[in-house]
Amino acid sequence: MDHIDNKSEYDNKSLYSTTTEISRETFVEEITVKQRACLEIIGFGEENKVIELGEEEVIIGRTPECGICLSIENVSRRHAHVICRNEEYFVEDLGSTNGTYVNGIKIVKCVLRNSDQINVGGVKILFTEDKTLQKT
Amino acid sequence: MMPPNEAKPLVTFWGTRGSVPTPGRITEKYGGNTPCVTVRYQDIHTIFDAGTGIRNLGIDLIEEYDKAGEGLSLHLFFSHTHWDHIQGLPFFQPAYIKDTNLTIYGSPHKEHFLASILKGQMDYEYFPVGMSEFSADITIQEISEEVIHLGEVVIDWQEQVCHPGGSVRYRLGINGKKIVYATDVELNLIFHSHADTKENKVLAQDYLDFIDNADLLIADGQYTEEEYKSKVGWGHSSIQLLLDIAYQAHVKQLAIFHHDPQHSDKFLDELWMKSRPKFHSDYKKMDIFWAREGLTLAI
Repeated sequence: MDHIDNKSEYDNKSLYSTTTEISRETFVEEITVKQRACLEIIGFGEENKVIELGEEEVIIGRTPECGICLSIENVSRRHAHVICRNEEYFVEDLGSTNGTYVNGIKIVKCVLRNSDQINVGGVKILFTEDKTLQKT
Repeated sequence: MMPPNEAKPLVTFWGTRGSVPTPGRITEKYGGNTPCVTVRYQDIHTIFDAGTGIRNLGIDLIEEYDKAGEGLSLHLFFSHTHWDHIQGLPFFQPAYIKDTNLTIYGSPHKEHFLASILKGQMDYEYFPVGMSEFSADITIQEISEEVIHLGEVVIDWQEQVCHPGGSVRYRLGINGKKIVYATDVELNLIFHSHADTKENKVLAQDYLDFIDNADLLIADGQYTEEEYKSKVGWGHSSIQLLLDIAYQAHVKQLAIFHHDPQHSDKFLDELWMKSRPKFHSDYKKMDIFWAREGLTLAI
């Protein structure tokens, strides 16, 4: 073992025998999580469009009032909507003519998970969800 | 013109996992709750099994009840009474509501034990609330008729012998559509060539006839072929065999169900990607998917 002079030995002992307390709030601040969910409309128009989801309902349809307006004939006027319920997102068909699909399955309603692919009248919409740290 | 969704039977998966609940990040897509499926047609609510998935169904039904103010009329069918199929019942909120009318059906071969089995899991040593605390009007009955008529919903059933203790499969006929719920059965024991006995031929034909031309078959596909080799006699089927049988029986849509607790979302996604293209041909197409919690389909 290497020689340790008296002074540094004392300093090391001091370091090892006490721990500086830090406040609990420091941890709380670090672990605050923000959930972010988006719909990315793929291959419709020149660039993919990304819409961030919140608590509000987003309607997908052909008419200009819809939050996601897909002005093509295969899409019904009010085709489907995405809703948030108990911190989870769902897509629900609104009685459309051509149906709403999630990962190739024709659905009436489906909870959405990261990377689920919604298909409305031939238009692909990717659902993504992630969690980011945020300072309070 | 296609009928609107309300005019079709709606099938919802509330729990799809076999054997034991598997909460956690790697199972959140297909779900970690044990079996519970509903088929709803107009005002007829049928429920198949009461695994832990029935808890979320109960929450949904209570919201409906609060809005409508009308009592719930529910029909709960048990495939069998293994733990993963009954353990959600104590947490089913509508059972604690006076306005609920709940009829529970199960195999007649339990010799009147169905009520005592369900009551037993709520004994004080297992759960602090006894079944006598249920306020709903509850009838528990072993199925005696060959066919059960609930309004326009017609349900027939068959015993499945290839599962420890047995199980029951159900078939619903609704407005010309056929939906089959056939979980917890080891089809490998009756369909594989080494099991070529007279009795197995009858059992195999019974199964094929029962699922023939189903618009939706919800079926046990717990293991891969490789996994099955070490699980013979455990009472569950291999996926590949199920796919072949369903295709042979002209099933239109197959929901693979009762996922193994060890199968992650990624694993099931990969199985799906591999299997799906094989059952699409020009003359015959079978849609297959791995059942996932929170999914509602119109049939």
